[in-house]
Amino acid sequence: MSTPEPASAPELMLDYGRGRARFALAKLRLAARSFRTGWGIFMESKVGMLALFIIIVFALMALSHPILMATVWDRETYDPVTGYAFDQVEQPAPPSLKHPLGTDPLGRDVLSQLLYSTRSEFVLGITAAVVTVGIATVVGAIAAYFGGILDSFFMRLADLIIALPAISLLIVLSALFNLNLFYLALIIGLLGGFGGTAIILKSQALTIRVKPFIEAARVAGGGHFHIIFVHIVPHLLPLSLLYMMFTVTSAIFAEAVLSFLGLLDLRMSWGIMIHTANTGGYLLGGTRYWWLIVPAGASITFLCSAFYLAGRALDEVVNPRLRRRDD
Amino acid sequence: MTGYLLRRLGQMGLTLFLIITLTFFLVQAQPGDYASFYVLNPDLPPDVKEKIRAAFGLDKPVWQQYLIHLKNIFTGNFGVSFGHFPRPVLDVLAERVPRTLVLFLTATTASFYLGFFLGKAIAWRRGGLFEYTATISGATLFTAFTPAFALMMIWIFAFRLGWFPVGKFLDPIVWRGTEVSANYVFGNMLLSAAAFIVFAFVVMLLLSRFRRSLPSLVAVPILLAGVLLALLFWSLSGMGTLALDILRHMVLPVATLTLISFAGTMLLTRNSMLETIREDYVMAARAKGLPEKQVRDRHAARNALLPVITSLVYSLIFAIDGSVIIEGVFSWPGTGLTLLSAVRSEDLPLVMGAMLFIGILSLLAHAIVDVLYVYLDPRIRYQ
Amino acid sequence: MITGPVLKVDDLSLTYQIRQGEVRAVQDVSFELARGQSLGLVGESGCGKSSVANCLMGLLPDNARVTRGQVILEGHDLLQLNEEELRKYRWRRIAMVFQAAMNVLDPVYRVGQQIVEAIEAHGFDLSDAEARERVADLFRRVGLEPQLMDRYPHEFSGGMRQRAVIAMALSCDPSVIIADEPTTALDVIIQDRILRELKSIQNDRDMAVIYITHDIAVVAEVTDLVAVMYAGRLVELGPTAEVLGSPLHPYTSGLMSSFPSVSGEKRPLTVLSGEPPNLVNPPSGCPFHPRCESATEQCRSEFPPRALRNDHWAACWHPLDKTNSTAG
Repeated sequence: MSTPEPASAPELMLDYGRGRARFALAKLRLAARSFRTGWGIFMESKVGMLALFIIIVFALMALSHPILMATVWDRETYDPVTGYAFDQVEQPAPPSLKHPLGTDPLGRDVLSQLLYSTRSEFVLGITAAVVTVGIATVVGAIAAYFGGILDSFFMRLADLIIALPAISLLIVLSALFNLNLFYLALIIGLLGGFGGTAIILKSQALTIRVKPFIEAARVAGGGHFHIIFVHIVPHLLPLSLLYMMFTVTSAIFAEAVLSFLGLLDLRMSWGIMIHTANTGGYLLGGTRYWWLIVPAGASITFLCSAFYLAGRALDEVVNPRLRRRDD
Repeated sequence: MTGYLLRRLGQMGLTLFLIITLTFFLVQAQPGDYASFYVLNPDLPPDVKEKIRAAFGLDKPVWQQYLIHLKNIFTGNFGVSFGHFPRPVLDVLAERVPRTLVLFLTATTASFYLGFFLGKAIAWRRGGLFEYTATISGATLFTAFTPAFALMMIWIFAFRLGWFPVGKFLDPIVWRGTEVSANYVFGNMLLSAAAFIVFAFVVMLLLSRFRRSLPSLVAVPILLAGVLLALLFWSLSGMGTLALDILRHMVLPVATLTLISFAGTMLLTRNSMLETIREDYVMAARAKGLPEKQVRDRHAARNALLPVITSLVYSLIFAIDGSVIIEGVFSWPGTGLTLLSAVRSEDLPLVMGAMLFIGILSLLAHAIVDVLYVYLDPRIRYQ
Repeated sequence: MITGPVLKVDDLSLTYQIRQGEVRAVQDVSFELARGQSLGLVGESGCGKSSVANCLMGLLPDNARVTRGQVILEGHDLLQLNEEELRKYRWRRIAMVFQAAMNVLDPVYRVGQQIVEAIEAHGFDLSDAEARERVADLFRRVGLEPQLMDRYPHEFSGGMRQRAVIAMALSCDPSVIIADEPTTALDVIIQDRILRELKSIQNDRDMAVIYITHDIAVVAEVTDLVAVMYAGRLVELGPTAEVLGSPLHPYTSGLMSSFPSVSGEKRPLTVLSGEPPNLVNPPSGCPFHPRCESATEQCRSEFPPRALRNDHWAACWHPLDKTNSTAG
């Protein structure tokens, strides 16, 4: 018998394991490198860096509220919903040392409301974005991979959702159900995930599906779901991240509009702050009651545009076609 | 081409059907039902409540209710508004829809022209202060919080400067003692606008037949004469001041909606232009010795228009949502405001009617974009 | 009767400004062309032939700068004209046949319309019927059915498109036509037919034609003169038969041997080794020396003078054939 001595099974397993580990390490290193190049391109965009800076400032603001409540601010005066500034004679009171952004018509501290709301905006935006992109990535990958009826079904569904004006639909839904932050995030996520974002991720997945390594994985005996989740979905992630940014913008915007119209069931939000001022008739007083509208209005605008602009800058990383050519 | 349009039409019919179905089942899914508005009233005795439920057909199984719902909608029976009792929903909407359409169409046309014009200009002459200002202000308006921006417009132009009224459709003081109704005047305004558009279209069509010998020098006086004629008609009709009052109320909402939505078209046109400028046919047009303006408008911009039209759907949907918000802020009594007040007063039949109309409006926007695209791209037209 | 050359290019040099520095795309290019004459401008891609063509058409990009020289067309220096004068000159006096593979016909207009547009831009005021008649004439001349003028470009085949592009170039009856790779991307039979038609149109109208190509076969078939470009410079210029019959410059001979023989005799195809030099930082002396087998120290340090033979010259220190005289 001249067949070579077969390696013992555990040894083989070890080898296999070592190979896999090395492979995973190499993959990680590759990912780190592409992240570094991507980061380099992102850093070149001044607008992108500014947007990132704004997002970080808001994140710090969101973190500061619980800390301030626990240390400096007493609950009776500074609670964003139930507090009352007994130290002020007239409500709304203009900014003072104790209330840096004044108080609202109901005697509540505006800065506390502003900081408290920031956290819910982040929760809302990120939940909606994760739901959207999670659904869209899977739907896009499945539609592109299987094609056929599945593909047409999801794409027609997406066409249908795109044709619906989202804000108007949310207004109607708010008439039927009590929309709280979580439901709102879920609905926005569903609309985006089965809507436009799915179409974009599908077309990206289509370009990956025809790559040779997919064929190779299939020949090697990879199952459908193995191929979809191990080989297609990871390549969709950069684009997914990009659309998460845009979803955050639209989620925060939608929340603000609905709150402004007084249609949501939330404790406090920037939109509700403007709503309170508006129903009290303070908005048309112009600059006299500026602290009732400017902080909240500016926060909505800044955070929405920061996520939007960060998305645009990320777009240049993901789509080389958009980069400025040196001509 | 007809095949393509028919297929799109079929898809839209299906979408409309799905919207109707969706709204029906959403109402089913909500806690309570159509009649809870009455049933929750503690003054009503139980047997009356039962009768009301039966009158709404709520004692029947869901699938029967669904079929009745479908039949009602296709026969134009949208029910009776709770809030405007006893007016039928269709009657309320018939009054409100034209007002929304006018606001929406004027603003989207204006914002499309403005956006396309600016986008093509900044792509053609890159760099410089103009591009910077246009891009920054466009992006700011695009991402600004719409209600806050609308309120700012009101504050500046209505309160501070006093140029325009604060909101609403008309000024009761102007209308005191008049015999005609606002709807009558408004209807006539729509008619004359439509007549003028048809007139202008026919003039342009006829002139383009002899394009070579008749330049635009002829078109401008003819169109001006048309405008003068219309103005003359209105000033003689005795309704001139009334029409002017409605127009004055229109300016701020239209301007606001235009300002928040033009930037989308502008940025898109700019990107699209930057691509077409590199195309060979633009270089060839220049090689042919065409004047610069002709190269830009007839070749680069004309081709850049195609992708812009494709994405116009998104801008139109954005503008539909925008017009709902703006009607809310300006109290412009259109479909959007109707929807909002119906939602607030839990007037479900009116909510459903208004939503259906908004759905139809967005489908129409889709249809218009499709037809426009087919008309503009010969590669699809001749297939 | 106009005597003398219709087009005279004198010491033309131009550069492009890019981030890496200055690209010397064209250097000291001179040639003359008489009425009815045709010139083949050959060379590998990136050697500057398209830059010469774009300069003649006044279509240089913004980052290009003409550093020296003149382009005299019918007695006027094109480089001295302002934007508006240049616009009127283009197409009227000097037109271009673009390659059909390019997307030069605007997809949203009828082909006939695009030709009429060019005619109208040059001050011909035509009625609708006259314009159509004129386009019909042009179409017949290039072998297209006149009723095709109401079609859109996407309804044309590659060959039809090429003919339409030729018709477009002829529309203002120019005295010089630049044909930029006029037959690339067409199949051989149509290629041949279109070249022959172009040649006969040239004879009919007594036009000067510049063929820009990397295809020696095209040059051999239709041109009277050949100019060989390398790294932005003319390296050899002379009557076609002479240059192709016995090239002086090693580059010309290398270029020829990388194509199948024109006259049919069998010989091994060789491929020029190496790549054209980087023009930001061109090699010293003769730019061809890194790829030349017979390069010497002199080639590396000094640009060669012209080696003359009859009316045929090459810029080479060691021309392939013995010459009767040498000039600086």
